[in-house]
Amino acid sequence: MTSGEQSSANDYVFRTEGLTRRFSGFTAVNSVTLTIPTGGVRTIIGPNGAGKTTFFNLLSGLLPPSEGRIWFKDREITSLLAYQRARLGIARSFQITNIFGHLTVYENVRLAVQAVHDGKANFFLPARRMGDLATQTERVLNDVGLSDAAGARAENLSHGDQRRLEIGLVIASDPPVLLLDEPLAGMSPTETHETVDLIQRISPGRTILLVEHDIDVVMAISTTITVFQTGAVLAIGTPQEIRANEAVQRAYLGELV
Amino acid sequence: MSVPAAGGKSKRNVLTHPLLWTAILFVVLPFVAGANPFAHQGGFVDIATTMLIFALFASGFNLLFGHVGELSFGHAMFFALGAYTTALYTKGFSVVLFGQPLQHAPTDGMIVALGLSLLIGLAWAWFLARLIVPRSSGIYFAMITLAFAQVIYFIAFNYSDLTGGEDGIQGIMRPSLGPLTSDWFHESIHYYIFAAVVVFLTLLLLYWIISSPFGSVLHAIRENKQRARFLGYDVDKYRVNAFVLSAFFPIVAGWLWAFFQQAMNPDAGSVDYSGNVVMMSLLGGMQTFMGPIIGAIVYWELQNNVSQATKYWEAWIGIVFVVFVLAGPRGVMGLADDIRHYGFANALRRGFSSRARYQTDVKEELPPLDESVAPEHVS
Repeated sequence: MTSGEQSSANDYVFRTEGLTRRFSGFTAVNSVTLTIPTGGVRTIIGPNGAGKTTFFNLLSGLLPPSEGRIWFKDREITSLLAYQRARLGIARSFQITNIFGHLTVYENVRLAVQAVHDGKANFFLPARRMGDLATQTERVLNDVGLSDAAGARAENLSHGDQRRLEIGLVIASDPPVLLLDEPLAGMSPTETHETVDLIQRISPGRTILLVEHDIDVVMAISTTITVFQTGAVLAIGTPQEIRANEAVQRAYLGELV
Repeated sequence: MSVPAAGGKSKRNVLTHPLLWTAILFVVLPFVAGANPFAHQGGFVDIATTMLIFALFASGFNLLFGHVGELSFGHAMFFALGAYTTALYTKGFSVVLFGQPLQHAPTDGMIVALGLSLLIGLAWAWFLARLIVPRSSGIYFAMITLAFAQVIYFIAFNYSDLTGGEDGIQGIMRPSLGPLTSDWFHESIHYYIFAAVVVFLTLLLLYWIISSPFGSVLHAIRENKQRARFLGYDVDKYRVNAFVLSAFFPIVAGWLWAFFQQAMNPDAGSVDYSGNVVMMSLLGGMQTFMGPIIGAIVYWELQNNVSQATKYWEAWIGIVFVVFVLAGPRGVMGLADDIRHYGFANALRRGFSSRARYQTDVKEELPPLDESVAPEHVS
């Protein structure tokens, strides 16, 4: 990620200017001016409370900013609602698994696929379109390896499978930009391995913004890393540059070394 | 028929299709409604008609309650709007409004009455939906709908010149329709048949709505509003549309009610009526298509039988209601489903054991997970 510099619309997915979010006196994100280039895995790391998730919430429209502006490609999205940003092709997963627990796995994914058509064919889709939905739903289930669990209730899946289902929901609409908030949290080593594979499989042609604590994974799959500290950007660079950065080492008390 | 929105691909078994059972129920109902095994009586057609009309009223209410997860505590206002519009159009009225005399002669036109009821009722529903749905949910939504329903109720109660006030409107003629004369409609069983056809066709529309892609989005909103938003669904727009659609059915029910009762009083828009449909949906099973239909039938059956035995019938119905909420929150339909899966004794035990209370049984209905998928994830 490159900070501050002006880029043309095709070069970046997000651009923020003085982005700030306060919660009753506490400033979670403090005047962040940042450009996130198109393509690759763009990871955000930082200690707990550094403002990573709040930054995600501002980008995806879960929270309105206290100050500052956000552009998506060449379009200002500061005042757009979450569903409007989702329709622009910004899809996100949540730190705490966020799926339709009482619905089946199949129904979960089908709803995500159907959402793409929602803006156009509003109320009742013609039967012909339903066929397309089924095909695409099955493809997504296959992509995330949940075809065999299609009929199960989502809440009955293992934690790892629920996380993968959520990634399935996120990629179902084939969005150009994914925001994944700690997709590996609470996973077993096997599940972690599979999910990293999955992320790498879905990354070509997309921009993936990742918040993740698993430093080994971050170092292995990131194109660039942005380090947040107390609501501001501490450093930006490739994994090698970040590993060598003294300020980052100090912030993390040697964790990276 | 119990599992809401289970696997999109699964084909329904014709023999367990809720529409088939609804049709069977409607045919049998006039012969058994009001049946009292102790008094050796039954088959009160007018009770059956009441059940039908409330089945429609409750089903519409439940579109919002059971399928979107939003409790309206004022759906009787739509029932009353349909009923009063129909009554006034049929009976005629003469009032002075802002110094202008406003008159309407008695008219026998049930289709026009339906059209007017829908026009007025849906316009009100749409206005209200735009006003309150995006601004409130949960308990606040319930309170605001209650407040607006009270407005309608007190207009009916106090604007005596138009509505007849507390006494209401009497002597509404049964209508005629094409070759069917007003006299034909006067026969209880004829009016029952007419109402059964109307209610069934209207419920067909409801069934189509809840099993359409639109219906699945409503279920998604019920389960997780935030997730639905982040998939790109305009959740508030869906909630507004669902609110207006859920008003449609009570309006039609009110139209049937006015001709059925041939008299109208403000009770139609009362808190009692709004509460009754909540009770019916819960009794029958709120997340199912047939739940509110069963609930309406059970409610009126109980009302009829218990009120013959004691004047404290409402207390007894209250007790039945409490038992259901505590022991079988999925209602009669949930219980029927459990009996199908576990047998009678086990179903009852399950219903009353706290452990199984809020679980449903989709797990058992599905084939076991493929071995190649499952074991790796045991961590």
